[in-house]
Amino acid sequence: MKLNPSLLARIQFAFTVSFHIIFPTMSIGLASFLAVIEALWLKTKKPVYLEIYKFWLSIFAMGFGIGVVTGIVLSFEFGLGFARFAQMAGPAIGPLIALEVLTAFFLEAGFLGIMLFGLHRVGPKLHFFATCMVAIGTLLSASWILSANSWMQTPAGVAIHDGHLTVLSWRHVLVNPSWLYRLPHMLTAAYLTASFMVAGVGAWYLLKGKHQHFARRTLTLGTAFGTVLIAGQVFIGDILYGTMLKYQPSKMQAAEGFWETQSQSPAPYYWFIVPDQDNQRNRFQLGIPYLGSIWLTHSLEGRVQGLRNTPRDLQPRMGLVFYAFRIMYGLAMVMFAVGVASLWLRFRGKLFSSRWFLWILVFMTPSGIIATLAGWYVAETGRQPWVIYGILRTVDAVSPVPAQALLSTLIAFVCVYAVFITAFLVFSFRIIRRGPDEVPPYAEASGSVKNAFRPYVLDSPERLVNSNITLRS
Amino acid sequence: MNLPLVSACFLAFALTLYVILDGFDLGVGILLLFQSETAFREHMVDSITPTWDGNETWIIMAGVTLLGAFPLAYSILLPAFYLPIILMLLALGFRGVSFEFRVQSKQHRHRWDVAFAVGSLVAAFMQGLVLGGLMQGVKVQNQHFAGSVLDVVHSLPIISGIALPFGYAVLGGGWLKLKSNLLLQTFANRSIRVSAPFFAILFGIACIYAVKIQPSIHSKWASHGITLACLVSLFVIASGILTTISEKARPALPFLLGLSLFVLGISGIALIAFPDIVPFSVTLWEAASSSTSQTLVLVGAAFVTPVVLAYSALAYWIFRGKTPEQGWEA
Repeated sequence: MKLNPSLLARIQFAFTVSFHIIFPTMSIGLASFLAVIEALWLKTKKPVYLEIYKFWLSIFAMGFGIGVVTGIVLSFEFGLGFARFAQMAGPAIGPLIALEVLTAFFLEAGFLGIMLFGLHRVGPKLHFFATCMVAIGTLLSASWILSANSWMQTPAGVAIHDGHLTVLSWRHVLVNPSWLYRLPHMLTAAYLTASFMVAGVGAWYLLKGKHQHFARRTLTLGTAFGTVLIAGQVFIGDILYGTMLKYQPSKMQAAEGFWETQSQSPAPYYWFIVPDQDNQRNRFQLGIPYLGSIWLTHSLEGRVQGLRNTPRDLQPRMGLVFYAFRIMYGLAMVMFAVGVASLWLRFRGKLFSSRWFLWILVFMTPSGIIATLAGWYVAETGRQPWVIYGILRTVDAVSPVPAQALLSTLIAFVCVYAVFITAFLVFSFRIIRRGPDEVPPYAEASGSVKNAFRPYVLDSPERLVNSNITLRS
Repeated sequence: MNLPLVSACFLAFALTLYVILDGFDLGVGILLLFQSETAFREHMVDSITPTWDGNETWIIMAGVTLLGAFPLAYSILLPAFYLPIILMLLALGFRGVSFEFRVQSKQHRHRWDVAFAVGSLVAAFMQGLVLGGLMQGVKVQNQHFAGSVLDVVHSLPIISGIALPFGYAVLGGGWLKLKSNLLLQTFANRSIRVSAPFFAILFGIACIYAVKIQPSIHSKWASHGITLACLVSLFVIASGILTTISEKARPALPFLLGLSLFVLGISGIALIAFPDIVPFSVTLWEAASSSTSQTLVLVGAAFVTPVVLAYSALAYWIFRGKTPEQGWEA
């Protein structure tokens, strides 16, 4: 069998980056959630917030660890698999990622140790500061990397002379046309991910009749944040859609499933298609009449542009982009419905007792992760055949590495990452089954959180062990 | 201003910090293999847990500085060391997740300790392999890597690959002597006394071998003989003291001597490689990106690095002193 190095390099990158993005998405969301929880704990001194903090910190710590080690891989993979890309794009994205490391990775890493192990050493105030620094680090990291990726989607601010790229204006590289919308889109996605995870676990405890206090509090917070965020996300998504339609029409043409230069009027909204890229048509298509015109052109009879507007050799694969978009969009609509339902049930006072709704929340626990992954598939497969849109094609970017080496390392990545995800899931389920640890009441009774921890810092470790205030369950 | 030279200094700074800081983390990991007592292993891992993440971040710093400031070198070196780098990344992955997973796993903790130790050992070996591969020289044609991915499977890289884990074990032993309780002191001393001579001898063989097979290194010895000879003698003295280190030595002494071994080694290698960034084929200036890119990296580094160093120092200060026997949470 003849192996294709370019295809293997792409599969390897797609696999490692897809695996990686799951964990930062969770960490960005959970870090901010933990900062909110710790703030509530410091303000109200209710032990339930410390319980919530400790519980989610355990899962956050594991996810963060996997995010770190799979992220390091990516910073080298630009060169391992795509040397030509690295050589060309390095002058533009290299400094951005260098600033990401300086301002974000070090910040997260420097304060993570304090966040995980430092409560007794530094006291609650500085500990809260550490939690905030980690949360800010995840935000900064997202802004830099979204800037670099958005530059690949909508490159600006550079000049190219015989294959060498020079940056003319950092402002234009950094604030490129799509970054301003893609950054809030990704951040909201991460917060939604955390909201649905938190709400889902709370709902599970309510269904099982366990840890009621903890469950009610997390369910309330999760659904409240989720509802506000999904409303915002629909709005941001709509603006982003317009931006991408302007700068990368081929992506949006592929996402909607139309081939004709102009669709029929009124246009339907397709939910299921069997695309035939070779003959530039759909073998089968199923949609809702009128909805395409209404949603995509905001009019009753508008026509939608199809993929044939893009020359054949510059088209992305329609099937990938279309279904990734449908999964993301479909999940967003379900999230929206869940948000509305939660408002209604809260108004009726039945939020904690409607078992059907709690079951839906349980099933929605991973919805944010799936939607985010699907969104990234739209962004990345829709940009093909380009790696830097309009500047460098993916096939021309591949490293001079033999296919056998690429194949064996791909297999190694799949095996090792399978171990990571299995361990993560097993341990997370175990933490969830065990439930939050009870926090001893005296943290509240002593009046001051500071006094609850300070006196035991270094002088008598036994008392601390007995008092059972360890941060991680 | 000579921007590529300044960028190269920052790159060397980041790489040195990585080698030193993750060096003792990896060393502690390697030494886990030789510690059969569960409680001691626990204590050893605890001593590096709060700060390992920051230490490892310096390798990303070095990697992306290379990408931003010397994209040509990045695009030649990574395909050239494709296999050892990927194996190193996977090994670092196992080491990194084991910090979290071993805490979660009560019954199978020893398995995660094995993953931790083997991960550390393999990562160290692969880094040594890359170092040896660099000394051997990288084949470049037409601004592309023109050798084979198996070029690292030669005597020089393999000797250097075996040497580096011993060097990291010296650092790890020094760190444990500094941070651990009384019961582990004997283990730490013994680790240093055994690892130091192996490291010095193997590294010495690798250097002599490199002079023999690489004419560029040979000519560097001819032109910078005295400086290099000074570095070598200091290296020999430091490793001699480490080999005979006694139980009564000051706790910080072996760690500082271990650091000096690495600083001396890195200085020597930098002197030999200069002005090449891809050894013996591409210079700093040939590989450099345009001045706008260099400037952004350097301005960022100039303003942010002091802050990074400050709060990293704060983290070390918060977890200062001997590692508590019950772990940091107690």
